Amino acid sequence: MEIKEKLEILADSAKYDASCSSSGSKRQSQFGNTSFSGICHSFASDGRCISLLKILMTNCCIFDCAYCLNRKSNNIKRATFTPEEICSIALNFYRRNYIEGLFLSSGIIKNPDYTMELLIKTITLLRKKYHFGGYIHAKAIPNCSPILLKQLGNLVDRLSANIELPTENGLKLLAPNKQGSNIEKIMKYVKENKAKNFVPAGQSTQMIIGATRESDLDIMNKSERMYQNYDLKRVFYSAYVSVNKSSLLPTLTTPPLKREHRLYQADWLLRYYNFKVKDILDEDTPNFNLLIDPKAFWALKHLDEFPKEINTASYYDLLKIPGIGVTSAKRIMNSRKHFKIMFKDLKTMGVVLKRAKYFITCNQQYFTNRTFFNQKFIETNLIMEENNITKPKIEQLSLFDE
Amino acid sequence: MSNIYIYNNNLISLLNLVDFLLQKKIKPDNIKDNSFNASLLDRTIILNLKEDENIIGKIINKLNAKIFNIIYYIYLSNQENKELIIYYFLLNAYKYPDKILALRNLRCVNLSLKIAKQVSNEAHKLKGFVRFKELDNKVLYAKINPDNNVLFLLAKHFKRRLPHEYFMIHDINRKILALYDKKEIYLINENNLDLKKLKESENEKEMENLWKSFYQTIGIKERKNEKCRMNFMPKKYWQYIIEMSEEL
Repeated sequence: MEIKEKLEILADSAKYDASCSSSGSKRQSQFGNTSFSGICHSFASDGRCISLLKILMTNCCIFDCAYCLNRKSNNIKRATFTPEEICSIALNFYRRNYIEGLFLSSGIIKNPDYTMELLIKTITLLRKKYHFGGYIHAKAIPNCSPILLKQLGNLVDRLSANIELPTENGLKLLAPNKQGSNIEKIMKYVKENKAKNFVPAGQSTQMIIGATRESDLDIMNKSERMYQNYDLKRVFYSAYVSVNKSSLLPTLTTPPLKREHRLYQADWLLRYYNFKVKDILDEDTPNFNLLIDPKAFWALKHLDEFPKEINTASYYDLLKIPGIGVTSAKRIMNSRKHFKIMFKDLKTMGVVLKRAKYFITCNQQYFTNRTFFNQKFIETNLIMEENNITKPKIEQLSLFDE
Repeated sequence: MSNIYIYNNNLISLLNLVDFLLQKKIKPDNIKDNSFNASLLDRTIILNLKEDENIIGKIINKLNAKIFNIIYYIYLSNQENKELIIYYFLLNAYKYPDKILALRNLRCVNLSLKIAKQVSNEAHKLKGFVRFKELDNKVLYAKINPDNNVLFLLAKHFKRRLPHEYFMIHDINRKILALYDKKEIYLINENNLDLKKLKESENEKEMENLWKSFYQTIGIKERKNEKCRMNFMPKKYWQYIIEMSEEL
């Protein structure tokens, strides 16, 4: 098989993995280095960043997961790269600045240890023979021996294992060969062996969104627990794309992208904004509102805490305001020591005023008549704002208001 | 009549001039480099100050490296009247040395921070978008068309990244190249080089095709999002991004 065809098959099989970040590592060698903040080299037709050569070592697999293109019962063309082939493509691409490094995953051939050994062999070649110092993200194969995890972790920048679904029931249904506990064993091992040269960019994982019936609450609870227990750098959410026909799977014509977007927003709230899952979801509302982002939804439910005064609110209170992020909150904290912040100043600090203005006062001033500070008015305006609805359509919107 | 102060088209000359004007409490109507074409209403003033490199250390000592970096980035920008912006930014920095960066309510501070950010953003984006071609003598060659003068920033990045490769980065808009000879970076005018002689290596096209087919494959059709791609990778850069140039 020609190398070009192999690359097409093995990139096609790898593309559903959402992670492509190249940040969090400081590595410098004779050929290549990493950039701590990460670098995007291109953007695919779906708008996702391309920073790594994302491929599978092989798309042969002994597993039969219902959602996966590479499941053993699928009749598709199979291909396997040799370690030298992967090195050659990665080095040639890196030298021309097409990529920031390599993302190497694999279907499982023979058994987990055998597959891991192939991954280790490839990456050892890159690091030791070719002195490659670019970013490497490798997938850990569930059920492999810990000694192999140790070896791989010492070579790569990031290691990850995908939990795929938030509950064991979901896994039993769609991935009968996979067990969540085995994935978490890997995460636990990586956390416990944390060291300067062992997985310096930390670990991540991924869940498929919309392939099973689990709620956003199930998903976010799982994320929260994993962040707490294993120091994960990231949880990625990947809207399910129907690649296989199966009675077990929903038939979706388009992937649930809006839902995926809401989960990422909520994930940010957990990691950077001091929110807990219980603040934003509960048994009565187990799913995010697709019309309003989670932070604004929370703020509307807690309107009694608002409006907050920009010049006196604490840092953590500033972070609760829709339209204010970590950067703008820090700038506000810095600047207000030296002058009274007015509405006109907020724009210069990166505040998204068209969202924030409903929830704040500047020097006790509200942006408009105070009588407009009510849930209905704010909610309607935020929905129009986010969904790019222009004023004449207000009438239709009252449908969603209740 | 406007008083236009002239510096020799380099950072050291500009900083010495600005420093002199600030010390003498002279308010210039504008500051321009020596390619400036004066109109009848302009009076150009050339002071012939010494180009003292210690000026950089002086600014860093009196203020700090972060503030100097902002000035340097403004200097690299394509902003009109950037020299005057640097003058007013420095004026305020000396006035409020400890809090200048927090004073976003001052127009000149806000503008300075914005311009510096734009320059650093463009440099960061291009660290990803630069596409080297391998020439028949193994030298790597890339063309770029940045809005701001980020060539040297890029060359420094690739010097760290590929210390054992010869490379050339060609800024088409400014007609200058950065050359790296495995030791130093040199900036030269494109006229000093016979660019027609450059020839791609034998398997360069093959590698480009391999990359293009990877690029085509990695996008998920069901998630196609033209607008999002364009936001992250503006069309103005596509010409020299090999996987995009055919889509233009």
